[in-house]
Amino acid sequence: MLYELTNVTRTFGSRTVLEIDSLSFEARRIYALIGPNGAGKTTLLNQLAFLDQPSSGQLCFQSSAVSYDHATLTRLRRQVVMVDQNPILFSGSVWRNIEFGLKVRKIPLQERRRRIEYALERVTMADFAHRDVHGLSGGEVKRVALARALALEPKVLLCDEPTANVDREHQEIILKILSHANSVRHTTIIFSTHYLSQSRQLAHRTLLLQNGRLSKNLEENIFGVRLVRRGDELQCCLGDHLLPFTDPDGLAGENRQMRAHIDPAQVRLSPVEQKNSTGSGIAGRVIALTWENSKIRITVDIGPKLQVLLGEQEFTARPYQVLQEVAVGIDARGVTLLN
Amino acid sequence: MDLLVDSLKSALLLLLSFDPELFEIVGVSLNVSFFSTLFAALFGLPAGFFIAFNTFRGKRLIMTCLNTLLALPTVVIGLVVYSLISRRGIFGPLELLYTQKAIIIGQIILIVPVVTTLTIAAISRIDQRYRNTALTLGATYYQMGWVIFLEARFGIMAALIAAFGRVIAEVGISMMLGGNAKGFTRTMTTAMALEYDKGEFVLAVALGLVLMTFAFLVNLVFHFLQGRLKSDAL
Repeated sequence: MLYELTNVTRTFGSRTVLEIDSLSFEARRIYALIGPNGAGKTTLLNQLAFLDQPSSGQLCFQSSAVSYDHATLTRLRRQVVMVDQNPILFSGSVWRNIEFGLKVRKIPLQERRRRIEYALERVTMADFAHRDVHGLSGGEVKRVALARALALEPKVLLCDEPTANVDREHQEIILKILSHANSVRHTTIIFSTHYLSQSRQLAHRTLLLQNGRLSKNLEENIFGVRLVRRGDELQCCLGDHLLPFTDPDGLAGENRQMRAHIDPAQVRLSPVEQKNSTGSGIAGRVIALTWENSKIRITVDIGPKLQVLLGEQEFTARPYQVLQEVAVGIDARGVTLLN
Repeated sequence: MDLLVDSLKSALLLLLSFDPELFEIVGVSLNVSFFSTLFAALFGLPAGFFIAFNTFRGKRLIMTCLNTLLALPTVVIGLVVYSLISRRGIFGPLELLYTQKAIIIGQIILIVPVVTTLTIAAISRIDQRYRNTALTLGATYYQMGWVIFLEARFGIMAALIAAFGRVIAEVGISMMLGGNAKGFTRTMTTAMALEYDKGEFVLAVALGLVLMTFAFLVNLVFHFLQGRLKSDAL
């Protein structure tokens, strides 16, 4: 295994932003991290890039537990490169930016030149080699940052939303670069995105992060939704039902067909007599009950089949039966819009 | 008005005649200002870097003390250093009083807080992402520090120029610790004060012109370097 995370948490003050029980990444594969803003994607990538230390738990890289002293970190970071969502280029020329990582690795001049030229060609920016970085467009900055990372020929390339704030043409270029790095150089790629389509196009495996936790199964509770404007409000319709949602990433647009993921743990049930006061109160019927890792999985028919996870205590306090009519309350935090 | 115009005319003539006394005074001024800025930089830049880069207990207190020291009057520094290096002071045997070294010591105390606080400000303005970018590209801690230094170079240069400007224009320390000895410790500002006391405005105005010219030249060089360095960071 390339990475193994065991009970890794990251807290800032009293707020836990990452809580991973167990997660592993294999070498030479492409992974996509999907989730809304604040889900912990960047925090996880920073951990994997050895730019941040877990508050608790263990991170193993190539089967060795990571030790967070300067010398070890520098050695590990020289195998892993992170490309930020809004990359920073150092003052100077494009060439010097790409050369930086090679210089600190003491790569000989001839080899440096070869790698820089190759990397610039890969990102179709060979003509920009001696241009000053000031004045480059957002897409060009991203491509230079990618070239800077690719020139280092890292074992792992971590990209935080590589296609964010980039036009469609540049998005395609960036995705091709990532795909090429994996297929030709066998670079392991872990990237975060809001686009389910991108993860399906590129990734061997997709991970869904919600509230700092990994969602067990991305394939469940994904529904086609429609966004419609009623008055000043943009509403998310799942069939005839209204779903509460927040859209911090600005993905939503009027009259758009989108996909939405509903976190099974963020759904509340109540007997049909007492309609849920905090949720949207969608009427449904329990059609299956299973016990799963100290949780109760309930399948509720609300039109589509909705998976709900309840804790054992919660279920014991208020048991449900198959065919029982229930009101379904969905928290806005549990709804993730996917493009 | 006539007095000022006449003084200016005479001052220009004095400058054009390459008056040796005037150039001697300018030389002393530049010498002490250069070395005090150099030594203050040697201490203030690393200190500013350390404070800006690290989080530790008492950091805020140190920042408050440094900000307070920015307003330290030159006569207070003069008095403190005088009490240390005068014949009865603990450093009396070194016989530093009324030497250029004494002025340099006093001026270092004056501008170390200037260099340190402005360096902290310059480093703190650099986006945290520069550090992470340098680190993820494989830089060691010191190489990352060098990257930050390069990105903050204009702020740091501005700190040094401000410090140089502060010492070349100060009069209290030079007068109290240097003694305004002709040919040894007479600086532009102490000479100007003396000439004013004597009612001789010509040399005072000439020195004032030189002082202003230096301020202008230093800023000109700064702007020139800013243009050159902008495209030549790494």
